[in-house]
Amino acid sequence: MTSLVHYVLHYGIPLIFFNVLLEQLGAPVPAVPALIVAGALSRDGKMSSTNVLLAALFASLIADYIWFLLGRRYGYRILRTLCRISLSPDSCVRDTEARFERWGAKSLLIAKFIPGFSTVAPPLAGASGRTSAAFLIYDGIGALLWAGSAVAAGRAFHRAIDRLLAALENLGGWALVIVLCVLALVITVKWAQRVHFLKQLRLARIQPDELMAMLDRGEMPVVLDVRSAGARKHNPHAIPTAIVAQMDDIDSRLSDLAPHQEVVLYCT
Amino acid sequence: MLIDKGYTKVRPLAGGLDGWMDAGYPVEDVA
Repeated sequence: MTSLVHYVLHYGIPLIFFNVLLEQLGAPVPAVPALIVAGALSRDGKMSSTNVLLAALFASLIADYIWFLLGRRYGYRILRTLCRISLSPDSCVRDTEARFERWGAKSLLIAKFIPGFSTVAPPLAGASGRTSAAFLIYDGIGALLWAGSAVAAGRAFHRAIDRLLAALENLGGWALVIVLCVLALVITVKWAQRVHFLKQLRLARIQPDELMAMLDRGEMPVVLDVRSAGARKHNPHAIPTAIVAQMDDIDSRLSDLAPHQEVVLYCT
Repeated sequence: MLIDKGYTKVRPLAGGLDGWMDAGYPVEDVA
């Protein structure tokens, strides 16, 4: 048995557990590649797919429940913290929140398949008052579907993955260097996307005192409250003159608005 | 999305409603 495969087999289950745990907590360490490799090894009878799925399930539930409790404790403010630590710009987009509100707790069944949404769904479930039991059931099924899909893909393509592992083995110590370089590249690309996204937001955004000064001068920009219904229920206030609008009815709400008019919006 | 619809001056409020309220500016109740 090659030493690389031996190492993976010996520490495989704890590695899967911690990889999934860290990824679901928000660290940029993709767990799907590890799950696919574990699936390939299970197809060859070298690893138990049941143990892999159980490790992924428990790690996922622990991480997601922590975010659920944080969402329940801190409400929609937790989304701002997530936006700061997550490398996925989609986590900061209003649409992900709208998606959760439309589908409810059932969205947890597929959340992990949608970039950005997987990060936001657990704290949103907590902030929107879902029960722990409902959350754990839907999130658990979702985690099994997600991990199971990756393991199944590994089992389906086990020959190709076996060849890849053999090739890595032939590289000796360079295999670890290559894996770490690929991981560093993934993190760098995601970080660069996030920096670009936040830079665009920062350039465009208006400070509260700027907006107040505009209102005092009578400039009357159009203020849009595009918060979700849940966020509005959590904080039942609005900036004076703000127009409440959802993304799907924004055309009708702004039908009289000239394109050159200044629009200020807030979604939290 | 608004920019795609032709609105050229779209600006998000820094800090959202929480930032506005933290700055002590007035708000109104919504139903």
